[in-house]
Amino acid sequence: MNNLWDFTGAEGAGYAQPAPLVPESDLSLATPLLRKDAPRWPRLSEPEMVRHYTNLSRRNFGIDTGFYPLGSCTMKHNPRVNEVIAQMPGICDIHPHQPEHHLQGLLSIFHEMQHMLAVCAGMDEVTLQPVAGAQGEFTAVRCIQEYFRERGEAQRTRIVVPDSAHGTNPASAAMAGFEIVEVPSTEDGRIDLEALAAVLDDTIAAMMITNPNTLGLFETDIAAAAELVHGVGGQMYYDGANFNAIIGRTSPGLMGFDAVHYNLHKTFSQPHGGGGPGSGPIGVKAHLAPFLPGPVVDVRAAEAGERTVESGRWFHWREPEHSIGKVQQWHGNAGAVVRCWAFYRRYGRDLRTMSEHAVLNANYLRHAIHREAKEAGVDHLFVDGARTDVAKHEFTLSMQPAKEALGVTAMDIAKGLLDMGYMAPTVYFPLVVPECLMIEPTETEAKDTLDQFAKDFVAVVGTDPATLHAAPVTTPVRRVDEVYAARNLCLRVPEEDL
Amino acid sequence: MVDQLPNLGREAEMLMAMGYASMDDLFSDVPVDVRMEEDLPLRPPQSEEEIIADARRLLGANVSLGSMASFIGAGLYRNHVPAAVFQLVTRGEFLTAYTPYQAEVSQGMLQAMWEFQGLISELVGLPVANLSVYDGSSAAAEAITCAVRVHGRKATQKGVVYVSELVPPDRWSVIHNYTQGGGIELRTLRHLEDGTVDPASVAEAAGACAVYVEQPNPLGLLDASLTSVKDAIGEHTAFIVGVNPVSLGLYEAPGHYGADIVVGEGQPFGSPMTAGGPIYGIFACSKAYMRQMPGRIVGRTIDEDEQTAYCLTLSTREQHIRRHRATSNLCTNETLIALMGAMHMSLLGPEGVRSLAVRNAAALHAVVQALEGVDGVEFVHPDGHHFNEIAVQLPGPAAACIEALEAHGVLPGFDLGRWSEARSNQLLVTATDQTRPEDIDRLASAMAAWCAEVVA
Repeated sequence: MNNLWDFTGAEGAGYAQPAPLVPESDLSLATPLLRKDAPRWPRLSEPEMVRHYTNLSRRNFGIDTGFYPLGSCTMKHNPRVNEVIAQMPGICDIHPHQPEHHLQGLLSIFHEMQHMLAVCAGMDEVTLQPVAGAQGEFTAVRCIQEYFRERGEAQRTRIVVPDSAHGTNPASAAMAGFEIVEVPSTEDGRIDLEALAAVLDDTIAAMMITNPNTLGLFETDIAAAAELVHGVGGQMYYDGANFNAIIGRTSPGLMGFDAVHYNLHKTFSQPHGGGGPGSGPIGVKAHLAPFLPGPVVDVRAAEAGERTVESGRWFHWREPEHSIGKVQQWHGNAGAVVRCWAFYRRYGRDLRTMSEHAVLNANYLRHAIHREAKEAGVDHLFVDGARTDVAKHEFTLSMQPAKEALGVTAMDIAKGLLDMGYMAPTVYFPLVVPECLMIEPTETEAKDTLDQFAKDFVAVVGTDPATLHAAPVTTPVRRVDEVYAARNLCLRVPEEDL
Repeated sequence: MVDQLPNLGREAEMLMAMGYASMDDLFSDVPVDVRMEEDLPLRPPQSEEEIIADARRLLGANVSLGSMASFIGAGLYRNHVPAAVFQLVTRGEFLTAYTPYQAEVSQGMLQAMWEFQGLISELVGLPVANLSVYDGSSAAAEAITCAVRVHGRKATQKGVVYVSELVPPDRWSVIHNYTQGGGIELRTLRHLEDGTVDPASVAEAAGACAVYVEQPNPLGLLDASLTSVKDAIGEHTAFIVGVNPVSLGLYEAPGHYGADIVVGEGQPFGSPMTAGGPIYGIFACSKAYMRQMPGRIVGRTIDEDEQTAYCLTLSTREQHIRRHRATSNLCTNETLIALMGAMHMSLLGPEGVRSLAVRNAAALHAVVQALEGVDGVEFVHPDGHHFNEIAVQLPGPAAACIEALEAHGVLPGFDLGRWSEARSNQLLVTATDQTRPEDIDRLASAMAAWCAEVVA
């Protein structure tokens, strides 16, 4: 289809603006800096622009268009009322540096969210400032770094991550200046306590791990791992990417963690927007709380004359004592926090039911896929990515047998699923599972959808290899050549040789 | 009772299909000693109607800027986002997608982001732009680490980066957090009394890994001397410029006067202020920095039938492949907000973006004219050219001025004492395309009354 530069409107086409408050001829402009050549932007009228983006949207797959079992990303339904609320002027038309008495409603929402997140994770304090999960990881690791510097333990320069960890874990720790120690998992995909013990000493600052882990398995030895790490004076960091599986059933605090990040966009549903925005608050135990980025929201008794939104309570910003400073210039993704507050209000204490249904759906789908595969006689073409009785919110399958028998890869299955009208599962992650498909249905998919997906998945697995190699054929474009993209870099119009 | 779970009431049937008796069976792998036995001590669930009512009450209690004569900016700017942008961006296909890992069913967002890259690239005058980072401050920080990766070996001042002393403390703090782990030393790039960069300080920076400076600077001042910085620092020191993108409708693109990397807060294009987020950061660079840049980037390619298609490219820089050797930890970013930016820019066109910049400049001009007539108010840099905002010297504390003018329905600006104690009598006054003539009248008369009171 057309790209923006194919539109050839007249000069001045597009959005009509009011006249300037002062005629341009009366302005004294900084002449030596005046722009010589206008940007070579296209010219579109509103009708053309609206049709262009509408047509683009029709070439995009979202949760609203179909089942999106993208493991590790928690692609759940986003209640629409959240969007309505996020457009209210009391959040949209707010400057973060307005005085506290202008922002009591927003601060009250922040305070409620800090409290709720602390309760769910078994932590003592929360900051909402980090704007994405990876930034949350980075923030928490920075807090741990400053905590040790403050204690005179600056020799703790290494961080342990399991080989199945999200790539952001080692990347975030390295950005903060830590050396990464990778520990192998056991054959069944869980923590190898012996391997962990072997790398622990007083140079270890922390261990970063998610639970359930990236194979969708609960780390049954998590308390023992925490004990080992604490035994050498290290901190336990919980990657909250998989928090959707456990709310109300257990908590990072109960497991022995000292710090966590939350992916509000996953667990509390901020629409993922094709890659973002997200929101990545962190929660910590009391000993790390003085290091949190500031400010956080606190509450005190209201004084006479203060116009409160909650009787007798006055919300205010507070700078933690040894704060690491800021990771985002303002107060984080406040708009995302407000959406997630609305989401939280929908569930309240029944967040536990939400997590139970996420786990119910994942296990149900896993069973249904195996059952359908057996009936169709294709169960020899894939195996579980990890041996387990129950999964948590997601599970992995390895297509290694299909690759060996037929030359069909996990990517071929993924492309075949696109032809059936689904988003593909996450492919080739975690790296420890060969030919991995990682499937996370979330709690907002109906049983009928899961039943149909199981049937369709098995049908794809049973499709002849030649057809699968050629898939997809029903999508807006066919298999995209990523190698060509990298070798013939074209990153913009007007085209320029790179 | 919650209403968002399609399988409520079907639990028993589903459990039975798996051979389980209860939900507890699915959590049998959670060891007894880490189980949460009690209910969460949280409030009961609410219906959509109750949530909306509470949101109206709480958010309605906030003082939105449209209800005042507002002159606060300092890095975020009140703007008008065309109606079509909001209408289009809420389409579920954009709104509820994630990172386009499966290119064949993500062509819409991939193409839109590829177009975004082209719009930004043209605006700032550099050949490569990524599809955005979190915000302007992390963009500045990531530009610095990127420059150190590129110039680390040849720099004679190893790991040293000069950062403009006018960079606000909050942004400086973000930069510090992002750079301290890489052994990067931040030194101060000084400015002269008139607000322009000190050529002696620029000369000192030659041989460092990078120089970071903003145009207009955080006090709204345009600095024509920046056009000679690149010549002064040489090819082995990156020249990084932070911009207000709207100003580039009128003023020269930094890429055209030697900038190697241009970053900035994209917010004025496409996004309301939203209390500071979500917004998006612009990141563009020359080819020499491309393979060390952070974040995601879209390339045009072909599909199996040799039809035009788009996909993420240069991914081997990224965390999901390179792990701890990645150029950044960026994963989830601000794509949807960048999409709003692209939509806004596509409606403006080359003439529209100039008009928008002129309107911003004109609004500030009108504010300056009005304040010139107020006894007791002086401009900190009276001879300089400004865009969007200007620092004014008051006869008393800016904090007191802000407090006093509230009774007149005026928020006169940002208290510069929050950036530096030495500036506690200075106010940063911002005007944008949304500034109304009647707001300016109210500002001038309220300011005159307050100044008279303070001086007396």
